Amino acid sequence: MNRLFVRRNHRHPYFDGRALIGLCGLWFWFGLGGLAQSTASPVNASAPFSTRATHLLGLENTKSNCDGTLSLQGNELQFQQDGKPSVELEITSVRHIFLNEESKQVGGLPMTLGKAAAPYGAGRVVSLFAHKNYDILTLEYIGFDGGVHGVIFQLSKGQGDLVRNELVARGVSSSSGEDQRTKQSTAEVRRENK
Amino acid sequence: MKTSRRISWIIGVAAILATVVAFPGRLPGQTSAAKSSGATSGSPMSVQVDRVDPGESDLAYSFQVAIYENLIEELNKTKQFERVLREGDRDAGNVPNLLILRTTIEKYTPGDETRRAVTTVSGATKLTVRSQLFTSDGKIVLERTVNGEVRFFGSNLQATHNLARNIAKAIQQSTWSGSEQSSAMLGAQF
Repeated sequence: MNRLFVRRNHRHPYFDGRALIGLCGLWFWFGLGGLAQSTASPVNASAPFSTRATHLLGLENTKSNCDGTLSLQGNELQFQQDGKPSVELEITSVRHIFLNEESKQVGGLPMTLGKAAAPYGAGRVVSLFAHKNYDILTLEYIGFDGGVHGVIFQLSKGQGDLVRNELVARGVSSSSGEDQRTKQSTAEVRRENK
Repeated sequence: MKTSRRISWIIGVAAILATVVAFPGRLPGQTSAAKSSGATSGSPMSVQVDRVDPGESDLAYSFQVAIYENLIEELNKTKQFERVLREGDRDAGNVPNLLILRTTIEKYTPGDETRRAVTTVSGATKLTVRSQLFTSDGKIVLERTVNGEVRFFGSNLQATHNLARNIAKAIQQSTWSGSEQSSAMLGAQF
């Protein structure tokens, strides 16, 4: 009787230790889960967001192929060309977002001229390495007159996804963006196989 | 005798010439065409540009949007139309003599800027579209197949700019004069 009692007394602290370790483990596990969750969805719909972008075409009163800052603030998407007033459009007017990747030669016109002038076809060798992948972000929106408008931005690779996620968090539909990306890559593979 | 014959022949030729000069629009081939038109002649035309129909092709949305935007820009540049409207524009119902421009992709060959830069002879981006101008009651007044491509320098999207410029040029260079409906119908026969 006494032995049993003593044994029980000995086991209690042991069980308390295990429970404590288990509790700590659980706490650590849920903590990690929470941390992972917070890194997976960093998009905060109200927080301002900005990134460098090149406006390819579509925005009114803005030159084509000009660099600037693309930012999302509240309910507005703004593009500010360096040293010029920003052009704004309401995010609620954006109907669709499409994202695709494109490989482009870097350096612009000066580089092209330099490559053309290089002797013994050295320019071609340079071209082989002087390219970079970009995200092409296409937005379709409705103007004040009810007409359909389109605007295209070029962003560094990876930035397009961030902008799209921000816009989706603000309520824009991106239904066919993924399909488009898949479709394009399939087409490219098909072309490569030919 | 000979002199009177010559005089009557000259009078006959002069009469024919006078008739042709006086009624230039009433040649037999054009009469029915001019009658079949619903638009009023003499007043300026406007055009509404519809979004691009990708057809069977897997053309990227960025290309479709670029063609649409470039078309609006190029048509405005030609100054052939009084107004160039976008699809969905609320004013379209109130604009007289409105034409609708529809563009359907027939063929798309995706290119590669790097391949163009390295090889020069391959990697061209090519677009072939069917452009149709409709009247508001659905009659085709102009139909053309137009190409746009980028072969050597420039990004792939440059092909859409070239295509839009070619479409605007095709509309301008057809016998279409913008206000004379008989000419428009002649253009449709090409």
